[in-house]
Amino acid sequence: MLSYIVHRILIMIPTLIAISIVIFTIINLPPGDYFTTYIAELQSSGEAADLAKINFLKAEYGFDRPLWEQYIFWAGGLLHGDMGYSFAYNLPVNQVVGDRLLMTFIVSLSTILFTYIVAFPIGVYSATHQYSWSDHLLTLLGFLGLATPSFLLALVLLYLANVYFGISIGGLMDPKYVDQPWTFDKVVSVAAHLWIPVVVIGTAGTASMIRRLRANLLDELQKQYVVTARAKGLHPLKLLFKYPLRMALNPFISDIGSLLPHVISGAAIVSVVMSLPTTGPMLLDALRSQDMYLAGSFLMFMAFLTVIGVFVSDLALAVLDPRIRLQAGRRE
Amino acid sequence: MSETRFNRREVLQIGFAATVALAVPTEAPAELQETPALKNDVGTGNLPKVEERVPEEPAVAELETIGTPGGELRMLMGGPKDTRMMVVYSYARLVGYTPSLKFAPDILKSIEIEDNRVFTLHLRKGHKWSDGQPFTTEDFRYWFEDVAQNKHLSPSGLPISMLPQGEGPRFEVLSEAAVRYTWARPNPLFLPDLAGPSPLFIYRPSHYLKQFHEKYADKKVLDGLVTQAKQRNWAAYHNKLDAMYRDDNPDLPSLEPWILKTRPPADRFIFERNPYYYRIDKQGNQLPYIDRVILSIADSKIIPAKTGAGESDLQARYLRFDNYTFLKASEDRNHYKVRLWRTGPGSQLALYPNLNVNDDVWRGLVRDLRFRRALSLAVNRHEINQVIYFGLAIEGQNTLLPQSPLYDPRHRSAWAQFDTREANRLLDLVGLAKGSDGIRQLPDGRPAEIVVENSGESTEQSDVLELIRDSWRRVGIKLFAKPSQLTLFRRRVFSGEALMSIDKGIENGLATPAMSPWEFAPTTQQQLEWPKWGQYYETKGAAGEPPGLPSAIRLLQLYEEWLAAGTEEAHTRVWHDMLQIWADEVFSIGTVAGVLQPVVVNDKLRNVPEQGIYNWDPGAYFGIYKPDGFWFDLSEASAKSASATISPPGPR
Repeated sequence: MLSYIVHRILIMIPTLIAISIVIFTIINLPPGDYFTTYIAELQSSGEAADLAKINFLKAEYGFDRPLWEQYIFWAGGLLHGDMGYSFAYNLPVNQVVGDRLLMTFIVSLSTILFTYIVAFPIGVYSATHQYSWSDHLLTLLGFLGLATPSFLLALVLLYLANVYFGISIGGLMDPKYVDQPWTFDKVVSVAAHLWIPVVVIGTAGTASMIRRLRANLLDELQKQYVVTARAKGLHPLKLLFKYPLRMALNPFISDIGSLLPHVISGAAIVSVVMSLPTTGPMLLDALRSQDMYLAGSFLMFMAFLTVIGVFVSDLALAVLDPRIRLQAGRRE
Repeated sequence: MSETRFNRREVLQIGFAATVALAVPTEAPAELQETPALKNDVGTGNLPKVEERVPEEPAVAELETIGTPGGELRMLMGGPKDTRMMVVYSYARLVGYTPSLKFAPDILKSIEIEDNRVFTLHLRKGHKWSDGQPFTTEDFRYWFEDVAQNKHLSPSGLPISMLPQGEGPRFEVLSEAAVRYTWARPNPLFLPDLAGPSPLFIYRPSHYLKQFHEKYADKKVLDGLVTQAKQRNWAAYHNKLDAMYRDDNPDLPSLEPWILKTRPPADRFIFERNPYYYRIDKQGNQLPYIDRVILSIADSKIIPAKTGAGESDLQARYLRFDNYTFLKASEDRNHYKVRLWRTGPGSQLALYPNLNVNDDVWRGLVRDLRFRRALSLAVNRHEINQVIYFGLAIEGQNTLLPQSPLYDPRHRSAWAQFDTREANRLLDLVGLAKGSDGIRQLPDGRPAEIVVENSGESTEQSDVLELIRDSWRRVGIKLFAKPSQLTLFRRRVFSGEALMSIDKGIENGLATPAMSPWEFAPTTQQQLEWPKWGQYYETKGAAGEPPGLPSAIRLLQLYEEWLAAGTEEAHTRVWHDMLQIWADEVFSIGTVAGVLQPVVVNDKLRNVPEQGIYNWDPGAYFGIYKPDGFWFDLSEASAKSASATISPPGPR
């Protein structure tokens, strides 16, 4: 087991190096760089950019050097925990990302909790009552949730919340609490704003979770051991929770791997539409304006979390399910 | 001081027509009143009294109504970089435009100009930076000698607008309060650049920035600061802190009405009143009236919705004409009014045939005057106006607007009537025969299909193209719209891959003779009709191609003439010649202009004009109307009527 863990950790290093190369290459693929994008933007709003100054900046930040040199410079910085410099914000990347991580964390965690709380009971119910009218109704609702574009739902909810509850449009709190220290009123304001993004981002996830849980559970419910347990007169609820439900959970544990980066990145599109102070819109802007160190370092951070997440979920699976542990042990 | 006074008298005696002394007559203002919001600080001794804060010779504002100080102004911005808009809107300039587009000294007490060559600037006695330090000619000297001519801080040297024919000025400090710039040749770019929305800052808070300048600072301390800020060297650090235009350094002393208090990064920027501001009203209240300005950052696409929900007190940026109905619908519920201001571009959207297109056959065609005229004649501007702009816009070519003193209605209407018969005749003359499907054929047999590229930023462009496609079809030209992405789009035009593009028309439709006619000559790569010719001029021949049409060469000559000319008559003459060529040659095909810009104004906000011009340069958006004089009327009675109170009872 120990050597397995060491093996996995060692494998992470080449994986991360490969990812960093891919990220850097893709960010540099579109023609031009941050400064050309910036000039075009200024021009489109009628402002003139000082060409000489921009050439000076390009030289200053090494944009005139070959790509591989720029890569070494960036990757070397990452190893020292230096995430580089954001041109758009004119600040070190660490400072730009700082505050947004907390808000992203709050939104994502609430969304995940919301998804679990809603999806679990419904999933279990519709599996145990397969093809009843209530199952059909819940299935229909689930598919509606899957099919509704979340940005549209976001716009509709924003409008209704503003007109009927007077909640300010977009953002995670009333404008007057932004950048203020945390007080009780601020927490209340965040709570009042939080439900819309949570519902919007959570809807699709909830729907797909209901479907998966239902399918997994249905698989298990047909199996012999369930029939045996039932024949032996075990209480239906105890039976359900003790055996098939546990089996049906495996896919959710392995989901942790993708959950971790999701918690940090949030749902970009919905966040843009709702103007949430999370990391999603920041990443999107950085990619669009080719603010390459901000985009690159943040993606790298997410890649790192994904790799860790997958590792953790593998370990958790091994702990929870003896069959998986056995196979892993046998490979040694 | 005595020396300059002598100068002025001498000037008057000789009666030199070319010499102008710009000074706003100052009448003795009423006794200065302490600002309520600052009373506390003055009481505790944190701030000196108002008499010591305001310059001895303050600027007295001409305001529609005298206001009461106080209140908070909320505005929405699309990104943290938009803090620079506060510098644009505040419009505190050495010399600025008045709403009638005349130059007037603003931060300066007065300015004397001889032959557009010798500029003598007089400061206000006792003028102070926002930290209470005196604002003197040393601040001008610091910039001219230690910033602009320091090769680490400004590798390219003095800005272009201070280098007529490549020569810099002679700089003299005459006294604590007077400086003089003397050029060998006229420099007509100097004043417009000082008055620009993104102005030429020829002064710096030297007492603050010297701490970060190699020449003045202790090397060890400075090196420590540079490393701490993760900057590459002292010059990069100095440039980062020296954010007069970016306005993202809360420590930088300023002359603006409101000073940044929030340290970026943030999603909400707070600007507080400058207690040392140089303008007062006629009753002796120090401006600005409004205590705090708050910029909230939101995604630009959600800003119309947020504005409609009443989250902004004064908003025009990121609002578009097609938001009008939505905004109007919640006027009463959220207590604001939507006003419609005219915009300044020469055309809301214009088509630019790319004279530098790579395709030989097409290049020959778009350089053919008859072809360009035919395409222009085949655009139904009236239809565009009615369908998309509710008939509220001005139809015609991409040229100056009626508000400009140089406006000639013939220029706007030249080749702008909808006349498919004449267009067909011209196209026949060019030699493009119609095929069996009614589409004309190029000399090499290809069908005449024009792909119009755009930046894909708004649906407005696609809507207009849809209409043009129908009318061009009637003269046998097929049009395809190709939206792409801003950077990519410009790149394709610059490289000659794009045959035609659609974008905003000329930026400054309100030009006066004193403003540069650069937009009408190939002067920069950014001009979509001749990017390579512009690049050639911009890079002094290092890249691009020399202009290949006699008319374009002539325009460039005229532009050079304008640069060299020193009098208004000469400038006017050059302008008229250029506009005439521009109208004859149809280098860009205009559609409609003067499209209305929705401006949302809180019901309680006063002194914002009912009708205005919303323009970048000249205008600085709200800047030309001086927002330091805007105020909130919080009295009960005023909440109902928009025509404000005349004046509050004089405090005495």
